Amino acid sequence: MTKILIVEDVFDNFELAHRILSSHGYDVIHAETAESGFQLAFQHRPDLILLDLGLPDHDGLTLASWLRADPSFRTLPIVAFTAWPPETAKQMAESYGCNGFVTKPIVKVKEFLAQMDSFLGK
Amino acid sequence: MTLMPEHFESNASIRLISASQFTVDELTAIYNQTRVDYMIPMPMNAARLAEYIEMYDVDLDRSLVAVEGETMRGVAMLGVRADRTWITRLGVIPSTRRSGVGEALMRGLLEQSAQLGIEFNMLEVIKNNTPAHQLFLKLGFYEVGELLIMRRPPTMQTYEPVIADARRLERYEALDLVGYDRGTQPWTNQSESLGHGADIFGLYLTLPDGSRGWIAYQREKFTLTHFIYKTEEGDPAEMAYAFLSHLHHQYPRLDTHIENIQVNDPHLPAFYKMGYIESFRRVEMWRGTPPASLVSK
Repeated sequence: MTKILIVEDVFDNFELAHRILSSHGYDVIHAETAESGFQLAFQHRPDLILLDLGLPDHDGLTLASWLRADPSFRTLPIVAFTAWPPETAKQMAESYGCNGFVTKPIVKVKEFLAQMDSFLGK
Repeated sequence: MTLMPEHFESNASIRLISASQFTVDELTAIYNQTRVDYMIPMPMNAARLAEYIEMYDVDLDRSLVAVEGETMRGVAMLGVRADRTWITRLGVIPSTRRSGVGEALMRGLLEQSAQLGIEFNMLEVIKNNTPAHQLFLKLGFYEVGELLIMRRPPTMQTYEPVIADARRLERYEALDLVGYDRGTQPWTNQSESLGHGADIFGLYLTLPDGSRGWIAYQREKFTLTHFIYKTEEGDPAEMAYAFLSHLHHQYPRLDTHIENIQVNDPHLPAFYKMGYIESFRRVEMWRGTPPASLVSK
C-alpha cells in the first residue's frame, strides 16, 4: 500500500487530507511537528511526504532541507501543502528541494488526488 | 485581573484579562488558534513563544487575552522598552472576528502603554491584511515603511568568500558595534532584541579597496538569523555581498531567516544575488512621534 506522511499541525487540514487519501487506498501517517515528521520519515519510509510549511517548532521548508540532506531521501517526493500565493509557494518549494506544492484548503478532491498520483509517478 | 478599556462596549460578554494570568502553553494555544486560517500562519510551540517573550521584552502583565466565559477568543501582546511600546501577536479566533474584540484588545494595549507614560507605539502588519491595517489606521497609526521577510535555503551552492581582511567578532564585540541607538528600527532588529539572544556573533571585514563594515548575527542550531549590519566605508551592496559570502561559506548547512529588512535598504541587491528569496512583506506603522530620546542619540 502506498504510504503518505502528512506533516500538518492544524487538525482540520490533516483530517480532510487524511479522509480523502485513506478513502482512495493510501496508508496515511501523521506528524504535527517538524521534528516528529523527521523521525516518522525515517521510521516509516513513506512514498510521499505532504508537508505543511507553517509548523510550530521549525517550518516545513527547514524540514524539507533536513530530509534532502540525507541521501536516502534525495528522490522521495516531498510536496509542500500551503495557502501561500502560488508564485511564492512554487519558488519556496523548489528552492528548498520540494517536488512541488498543492494548495490548501483542498476544494477539488479529484484535482488533489490527481496531483498526488502525479507526484507519485502513477 | 480583568482590564476593561473605556471604549469596549460592543460585546459585553468578553472580558480582557492580563496575559500573565495564563500559562505559556495556554497563550501558545490561543495564539495558534487565531492564526489557523492565515495565509502565513507562523504557528509557535510553547518553547518558541517563551523565547519570543524574552527576546522581545513582551510584558505579560500588560498583554491581554480576550475571554468569553471560559473560552479564550483573542490575544494581543505588548513589548515594552524605554520610551516605546510594540504591539505584537494580535489575533482573534476566526469565529469571533468582526465583533470588536480586536479593537478592544488594541485599545486595551494602548491604554496600558499610556499608563506607563509611553505615547510612542510601534507595530508591523502583514501587507494586504486589510482589516488589521484599517483598524490600525483608525486607532491613529500611520505607515512608516515596508519591510521584507527573506530566507535562503541551506542547500544552495556555496560561494567563495570575497577576498577581505576578516575578523570574527565575539558576542560582546558584535553587541558593541550594534550599539544602543536603534530605538526607531523595527522592534525585532533593535539592540535589545539582539542583546537578549543567545549565540550572537559578528564579522568585521575590510576589503582591499578600503571598504569596511560589520555584520552581527544569531547562529541557532539550524538557522542563521537576526542580521544587523553596517557599511562604514564603501558601497553597501558590495559590502553586503562580502558579508554574506563569508557567512554562507562558514555555515553552508544552515537555513537563513531574516526579517524586517527595509525595502529601500541599499544592501538588498547582495541578498538577492546570494540566493535569498522574499517570503512576504510587512508594513511598519507608528503611532505618535518618536521621542527625542530615541532619535537624538
